[in-house]
Amino acid sequence: MGDPKEIRVALTGNPNAGKSSLFNVLTGSHQRVGNFPGVTIEKHEGYLDHKDFRITVVDLPGTYSLTPYSPEEIVTRRYIIDERPDVVVNVIDGTNLERNLLLTAQLMEMEVELLVALNMIDEVEEKGISIDFDQLEKLLGCHIVPTSARRQTGLDELLDHIVQISEGRIEISKNKMTFSPVVENAVDKIAGLLSHERELDSSNHRWMAVKLLENDREVYRLARQYPVWVKVELALQEAITECERLHRTDPEALITEDRYAFVRGAMQECVKQPKASRATVSDYIDMVVLNRVLGLPVFFVVVWAIFQLTFTLGAPMMAGIEFVFSLFSRSIEPLLPNAMLKSIILDGIIAGVGSVVVYLPNIVLLFIGLSFLEASGYMARAAFVIDKVMHRFGLHGKSFIPMVTGFGCSIPAIMATRTLKSRSDRLATIMTIPFMSCGAKLPVYVLLASAFFPPAMAANVMFGIYLLGIVVGLWTAWMLKSTVLKSDSEPFVMELPPYRWPTLASVVFQARMKALMYLKKAGTLILLAVMAIWAASNFPHNRELDAVLSREKASIEASASPQAGKSEEVRKLTTRMQAAQLEYSLAGRSGKLIEPLIRPIGFDWRIGISLVTGVVSKEVVVSTLGTIFSIGRSDGSAGLSSILRNDPGFSRATALSLMVFVLLYIPCLASLGVMKKEVGSWKPVLFFTGYVLAIAWSASFITYRLALMML
Amino acid sequence: MKLSELKVGDRGEVTSVAAEPAVRRRLMDMGLIRGTEFKVLRFAPLGDPIEIGYKGLLLTMRLKEAENIMVEKLPVEDTQESAGGVFSRMRRFGRS
Repeated sequence: MGDPKEIRVALTGNPNAGKSSLFNVLTGSHQRVGNFPGVTIEKHEGYLDHKDFRITVVDLPGTYSLTPYSPEEIVTRRYIIDERPDVVVNVIDGTNLERNLLLTAQLMEMEVELLVALNMIDEVEEKGISIDFDQLEKLLGCHIVPTSARRQTGLDELLDHIVQISEGRIEISKNKMTFSPVVENAVDKIAGLLSHERELDSSNHRWMAVKLLENDREVYRLARQYPVWVKVELALQEAITECERLHRTDPEALITEDRYAFVRGAMQECVKQPKASRATVSDYIDMVVLNRVLGLPVFFVVVWAIFQLTFTLGAPMMAGIEFVFSLFSRSIEPLLPNAMLKSIILDGIIAGVGSVVVYLPNIVLLFIGLSFLEASGYMARAAFVIDKVMHRFGLHGKSFIPMVTGFGCSIPAIMATRTLKSRSDRLATIMTIPFMSCGAKLPVYVLLASAFFPPAMAANVMFGIYLLGIVVGLWTAWMLKSTVLKSDSEPFVMELPPYRWPTLASVVFQARMKALMYLKKAGTLILLAVMAIWAASNFPHNRELDAVLSREKASIEASASPQAGKSEEVRKLTTRMQAAQLEYSLAGRSGKLIEPLIRPIGFDWRIGISLVTGVVSKEVVVSTLGTIFSIGRSDGSAGLSSILRNDPGFSRATALSLMVFVLLYIPCLASLGVMKKEVGSWKPVLFFTGYVLAIAWSASFITYRLALMML
Repeated sequence: MKLSELKVGDRGEVTSVAAEPAVRRRLMDMGLIRGTEFKVLRFAPLGDPIEIGYKGLLLTMRLKEAENIMVEKLPVEDTQESAGGVFSRMRRFGRS
């Protein structure tokens, strides 16, 4: 037997029709995720072997229609027209036929090899809906296979049909949907005109004509290039006038109404729904969840639960990962011959990999939670409940959960903005997230606030810092949305899907995909950046320091003091040497280099260095301060907070200014890496970096000057 | 009148949708075309957006969008409504 024959299948359907579940049960683990060219819409592709055929399946984005208004719909259309898949499978939700069939009607117009998978057949039967499949097939002019992705029924039959259709073994009279006479006349006329254009020879003239009447800007752009356009435009004008005269509306609305009329006709003929259906479970849940009084509390409890799941449950796992990495470091340390190699492998590579992997528990847990919310149907309701607040700042109701997640960690939060469909909403939300004080910034605040303020004040100071982050974040969103991102906000016209119990498999699947995507796409970037910062704080290497270190070490060892005192001496010495090396390194020099810039906000070069290394992760600010402020001190035993308190270069004003700066300046490299991955290009990321530096500097300047005056 | 002017529990019929092209098309694709009968189910806890129900579909939109949908208010369909409260309202919603 030779190679299996290949069949290319595209899945289309409404959001919530179970398209992705079907895709998952069909292709299992044979999947890869890419992007459609030019847009940041995920393209899920997979394959499976059925009998002698290899069937490759592309899961097109969920759409209600095929207009040129949303990137999802454009991608779907272009794929069907340009890639000409062998079979287009339209997945429809059997419990919500009327709306789902609207898309089917539009696919019929495209004259593709269409196959309908009537999904959720189990629910259809439970609800007592009966469907006359034979008659519906005749009306739609295509085969219909009942399936249930959840129960995994009807799959073999679906695949058999796919094979038969691609082999041309299924004969079915294609049924055309007819529009109102006004539209039909215009369509015939325009299609006739288009067919005279030789270059448009192979296209679907009827479809183009319908789209032109629908005012479709993409088809307009195409048709306008040809000489025949002059005549077409006249015909279009005529149609508009006629429509207005006869139906008091425009062709676009009339065509949609005709499609609905067709669908309703088909429904009346083929579908029997039980009368007087009682209020569903969904309705009862909504009475509580969307209640005027209870709606907001329920919402906040859910958000709180997601946050707790991600970060409280994630914390021990993160600690576990850190423990394993440090154990690993320690166990291979003796095997490494010289100090340089040790530093490269332990502090560079292992610590670098560790700093990527450490976010995994958060990401996996958050996405288990989010995909549960999404699949269960609550996510849309959450957006409904909180939209008014978010909209005030130009954001979307769906921006809220990613934003709140930002208080735990920006990385999963930025990834969570995928639920937002419009690019501008997503960009604005992504750029708000880093201002939500993440967990890594907390140690910095704790150190500084407790060092410079009495306990009661310290809490207020920290609260103020968190508040400032929220204010700046929302202001940023508002500013972006009213200037550069003004266009293409997603209209808030959103369906509330019925509540469904998500399957464990799909929830786990989502979380796994996200984790892999993070490791593969963002992980490499983060690792490289972390290692670059490591290199900058270790090179150029000061050999003289090494010599001094070993000489002094030897003299301590040789002295007569007791063993415990000796090792304490050695420890202090090593810290001093590390500080000296850091000062000598590239990072240290850049700290000194930027000193004139940060002087006005109260920082000296030592703080400058910790800001440079803090770009890796905000906690690093604390450990760098610890190292660098120990320079030239003999009382190494004193805690960092008392060292800072007693340092002449550090005042209350400096502490406040530093907290503000750490809150606002460049988020960690890991989140910049994820940001780049999510927005698709460097430009917005660079813009954002410049913006936060400017904001951070200005805010710190104001804080510092005010503090100097008042404290 | 405008859809945004209806109250919870009101029933209405769409007479025209006149928003900017993208929004208008989205509304029509969700089935809000001339003649669609719907019922106002609720407003969000903060008063915006609005949720309407028709043919087993629950649709939400901001009041800004609802202002672009012209509707005709329909009479309350049976006497149960006034006395029945939420439960009878829900029962009838499934049937509409």
